[in-house]
Amino acid sequence: MEIAENSPLSRKLAPYPLVFMRFRPAWAYIDGIREFGRFFCQTTFGTQELADRACVVLQETLENAVKYSSNTPDSELELSIESDGANIEFSVSSLPDAAHLDSLREELNGIQTLDPEQAYLAAFIRASNEPEASARLGLARIRYEGGVELSMKEETGGRIRITATGKL
Amino acid sequence: MSQFSAVQVPKAETIAIQVTAPNQVKLSGTITQKDPANDLAGFFKALHTAAVSDRLSEVRADVSGLTFVNSSAIRLFVDWATWVKNERGHRYTLRFVTSRNVTWQKTSFMALMSLAKEVLAIEHVT
Repeated sequence: MEIAENSPLSRKLAPYPLVFMRFRPAWAYIDGIREFGRFFCQTTFGTQELADRACVVLQETLENAVKYSSNTPDSELELSIESDGANIEFSVSSLPDAAHLDSLREELNGIQTLDPEQAYLAAFIRASNEPEASARLGLARIRYEGGVELSMKEETGGRIRITATGKL
Repeated sequence: MSQFSAVQVPKAETIAIQVTAPNQVKLSGTITQKDPANDLAGFFKALHTAAVSDRLSEVRADVSGLTFVNSSAIRLFVDWATWVKNERGHRYTLRFVTSRNVTWQKTSFMALMSLAKEVLAIEHVT
């Protein structure tokens, strides 16, 4: 991908991401941040397809982060969007309650044993077979519909960082 | 009287819902609430029950105007397809009318189709 000199991406070597936000883990913010992400990706990269993928990644990662955040003053979320001109990376850092961490780790490991489409189908089958359980479609959806790979890094102070990386 | 068209439509902030006799429901807007089942699970279940009672051969669910939904909402469509698939009395075809231009519809209804292809039909509109 060729980057015009006046494109926001021409700042890719700067020591900061294209987008960085820090905010309280409140559900009410998610719609606005998702739609900002859509606008940002559409404007910066000029493709509707990437804008749609960004929406899925942002909606589902932020929902998970908000839903499972610990109820403490240091539980603010951090969102960053970065690009090197060939790939895009969405990263969400949060402070989850301890009970959620194991199930998140297990879910991530589980979906990564399958290719994205198969993992999404498997999540549908599980949801169908377990009508009383929570949906647990989100992570598989991010990989398949978002066209990204997911990773989780455990950071100091109990924080975790979910990173979604895909091609532009 | 058609039980299907008499199903009470829930009020939900970001969704417009229209039920039309004898067998059509149309949803448009976005579904991103924390728990959309609170607004919609009972409604979809009522539509399913009414479709069985009315012995409809097909229910046409037009979701082409649903521009974005979260995975909790997608789960509601999985549930509806599962009810039809597991129905022991009268079974009908659940036809989803989807848009080619809306990304989540392309990926999710493809997955849904492979889950319950014997009772689902997908129709694409632009």
